[in-house]
Amino acid sequence: MSRLDRIRAEATGAMRTFLRRRTAVFFTFFFPVVLIVIFAGLVRTQGGGGAGLFSEPTGYYLPAYLATVVLFTPLSRVGSEVARHREDNRFEKLATTPLTRAEWLAAHALVNVALIALASAVLVVALLLTGASFVLSPWLAFFVPVTSVLFCGIGAVLGSLAEGQDGAIAASNGIALPLLFLSETFVQPALFPEWFRPLLDLSPLVYFSRGVRAATYPEAVEAAGSSGVVATNAAVTLVLAVVAFAVGAALIPWTE
Amino acid sequence: MDPVLVAEDVEKAYGDVTALDGVSLSVGAGEVFALVGPNGAGKTTLVRCLTGTAEPDAGSVELLGESPRDARKQRVGLLPQAFSPPERLTARELVSYYAGLYDDAREPDAVLGEVGLDPAEDTWYGDLSGGQQRRACVAAALVNDPDVLFLDEPTTGVDPAGRRALWSLFESLADAGTTIMLTTHDMAEAARLADRVALLAAGEVAATGTPGELVAEYAGDARLVVDTDENPDLPSYDAERTEEGLVFHGVDPTSVGEIATALDDAGVDFGALSWREPTLEDAYMALAGDAERGEVAR
Repeated sequence: MSRLDRIRAEATGAMRTFLRRRTAVFFTFFFPVVLIVIFAGLVRTQGGGGAGLFSEPTGYYLPAYLATVVLFTPLSRVGSEVARHREDNRFEKLATTPLTRAEWLAAHALVNVALIALASAVLVVALLLTGASFVLSPWLAFFVPVTSVLFCGIGAVLGSLAEGQDGAIAASNGIALPLLFLSETFVQPALFPEWFRPLLDLSPLVYFSRGVRAATYPEAVEAAGSSGVVATNAAVTLVLAVVAFAVGAALIPWTE
Repeated sequence: MDPVLVAEDVEKAYGDVTALDGVSLSVGAGEVFALVGPNGAGKTTLVRCLTGTAEPDAGSVELLGESPRDARKQRVGLLPQAFSPPERLTARELVSYYAGLYDDAREPDAVLGEVGLDPAEDTWYGDLSGGQQRRACVAAALVNDPDVLFLDEPTTGVDPAGRRALWSLFESLADAGTTIMLTTHDMAEAARLADRVALLAAGEVAATGTPGELVAEYAGDARLVVDTDENPDLPSYDAERTEEGLVFHGVDPTSVGEIATALDDAGVDFGALSWREPTLEDAYMALAGDAERGEVAR
């Protein structure tokens, strides 16, 4: 039995369990779509200059809409799964099997990547239906899964440190919401005070946002040095994902 | 018998609460060893130290001759206490999931058949009855065909018929050479299954022995309980008033008729007479009470 077989067994069980929770499935896909319906469909931001909220064309906000799934889904799902596994003594059982912490997290990261990839595809189609203009860059196939793994790692940290499932979900929401608006997603950096702007670099989501925008927003794609911006942000995202995964796996409460 | 489980002077505390206070025991290959004791006595903590899911603060533990965390997982099976696997997997999917984590696993259908769950194998775990859920968890602990099996309260919530079926299964595993570490509150279970029993109280081993040895040492004599509110003076007999009724100690079954006649002759109004041999539960009650009072010589 190889490591891959164990990861497959864990991932299969986790995927089956998730797909049979109808409410969770529905809201995983419904939440980003409802944002698009409201802002891209009803408000119909087309850009008109200025620095206000939603003052840019819809395509500018592609990273923001994608961020709602690559950020919220893994943070809350992995966080609550870790807490649930601890409360139900599932880690105690798994610790006596050949499965390791890293394999467990890898399996759950795979499940999240698959779900998020699907949700992202739904989201992209929904945006296209609104007439949004953006480039379907192959970089999306890098940024979406890698950033999902990053937030799976952070979710594992939250689930390990929180007291229970409720605590894990509250913590993930408490962190995800500010991150969503402080990562050059829906809110442009120009709207923040100058002294605050350097702090945006502290958000792990900001590199996803900058990289995806540089790869997909037509104005950015046409700008000189766009490919360098994408590659730099991809590299930072990858490093952050590796670190978050390693820390998350190490903190999983496998044993007391 | 080669020891496959060894604990020596194991100590473990959670903050100010001492869970284990110098516990030593050794379990041989193929032995069924039962840990009994009141809630909070340290049974589950000891199981966790022996399986490597908790680290002792002091002392040492060995599982299959190694540190528990280094022992081959393939050879170890665990049914944790208060274990709750994913509810939205069927019984078969659940056992298959755990089978998929091992290098070499048994056929899930065969294991489900052994625990009597084959009729419900396509039912979601969350929809099984409490007893069926526990049996599914037992199946998950057996799927890797372990040499050492830890069962932490395996029959909690299982109905009498299901319990007896599981007991038969555990007996057949023991007959085939599986070492079983069992924790239980059910003295009938311990008496039936265990080669040896250890009573844990307040984090210490109060007594260890075969069920027969513990009964002989601590359970007292055979007794006759007379259902009456009266306190007759019968000079030839040693009677004691307890919550059960009027208890005559050390009564041979052939003497029951004589005592009934003596009660009649003394004009005592009595109902049922019940005679019983001392049991492991009597030994447990005596030991647990003594341990609480600090009176057991260790």
